[in-house]
Amino acid sequence: MKVYIQGIGNISIQNTFRQTGFPEPVWYNESYVRCIDPDFTNYISPNEARRMSKVIKRAIASAKTCIAESSVEMPDAVISGTGLGCIEDTEKFLSAMIDNDEKFLQPTFFIQSTHNTISSQIAINLKCNNHNNTFVQGGISFECALFEAFILFADNKIKSALVGGYDEMTPSYFRILNRIGLWKKKFEGSGNLSNSTTPGTFAGEGSVSVMLSSAKNEKTYAAIEAVEILYQPENIVESIETFLSRNSKKTEDIDLVVMGMNGDVKNDAIYKTISADMFGAKAHAWYKNLSGEYFTSTGFGLWFAANCIKHKYVPSYAALNSHNAGKLQNVLLLNHYQNKNFSLILFSAC
Amino acid sequence: MDELILELKQEIIKVLNLQGVKPEDIDNDAPLFGDGLGLDSIDALELIVLLEKNYGIKLEDPGKGREIFGSINIFAKYISENRKK
Repeated sequence: MKVYIQGIGNISIQNTFRQTGFPEPVWYNESYVRCIDPDFTNYISPNEARRMSKVIKRAIASAKTCIAESSVEMPDAVISGTGLGCIEDTEKFLSAMIDNDEKFLQPTFFIQSTHNTISSQIAINLKCNNHNNTFVQGGISFECALFEAFILFADNKIKSALVGGYDEMTPSYFRILNRIGLWKKKFEGSGNLSNSTTPGTFAGEGSVSVMLSSAKNEKTYAAIEAVEILYQPENIVESIETFLSRNSKKTEDIDLVVMGMNGDVKNDAIYKTISADMFGAKAHAWYKNLSGEYFTSTGFGLWFAANCIKHKYVPSYAALNSHNAGKLQNVLLLNHYQNKNFSLILFSAC
Repeated sequence: MDELILELKQEIIKVLNLQGVKPEDIDNDAPLFGDGLGLDSIDALELIVLLEKNYGIKLEDPGKGREIFGSINIFAKYISENRKK
């Protein structure tokens, strides 16, 4: 089965919003980075925006941009993935609870602190009464949303789906993750991440909305042929071979492997094994030097892979080797989060 | 009373995150809900919390809010007559 990417809205730490193709990369020297936000008043009225945290505003702006780019007026489903939901409002609610001795709890922060408010608010804003769901599955939240869309397409229940991955990185959550060693102690800049030999990476955040459709047209970026989610696979190389075989592909059919490497030696080791054992002669690229690491960064990876296929090139700053990516007919996106949750997404050119 | 009215307007703007609204934009006699500021039921809950937190007034009957929150003048008068802090 193939589903087609008809539009993408991407707010990230790069200038990706409403950008055709790859923008000039922005490199960072700090390990805590926030998104480059658009002017939200172009997408959300002040009265609506006053109760929305950043992650909701970004989700709606990226969703509207995605819809505008696609030929789909109203999706048959709105499915989101988020690792943290509206963590900023959750923190406000909990902080107020502590500060005020569990009294005077503000309803707005309570309502906004629930994870599923993201898909709901997108749907309310779009006036979309169709299927609505939010997945909160840590580092595979976006993939779960994508997977559900696939199931619905396969069952012929939908012809289009707005799928998104939305996460924000608040200062306090950044500090918590720093304590458990997720970020580099000495960060030498996102532009130098590929040379890193130390543990840890740098933090990112982002909002990616993708319009999927059962039909293709002249605007189509690429097709997604399959999505697979694995939990601590015993042998990842075998799992990838099985995945490709199930989708009538061989290793040699893959023109480009996009990897979720992030400059953390503990994270990247498995990718090096996969590369050496399976794809040694193939072109490799990565995207987390551009997006930073966060729960739903695979959404950025999807944007990256789809743009490589659509524009028929791999930007040099994202290439991991000098092998030719050929016609970019088949692209495999590999990601894992903390060596536990793995995902495989197979793309093809239309 | 003027001081309380200004303080109340500033608090309402802050608590309800009324973007782009200044205290002088809020008419003292205009309704806060519906046509005036266009507040809704969630805002009413926020104002009930504000009453208790800032002025020690606990509304036993939330339905009474519609009357109390009729306008800034009515709201300020109710606070000045019932405040405990």
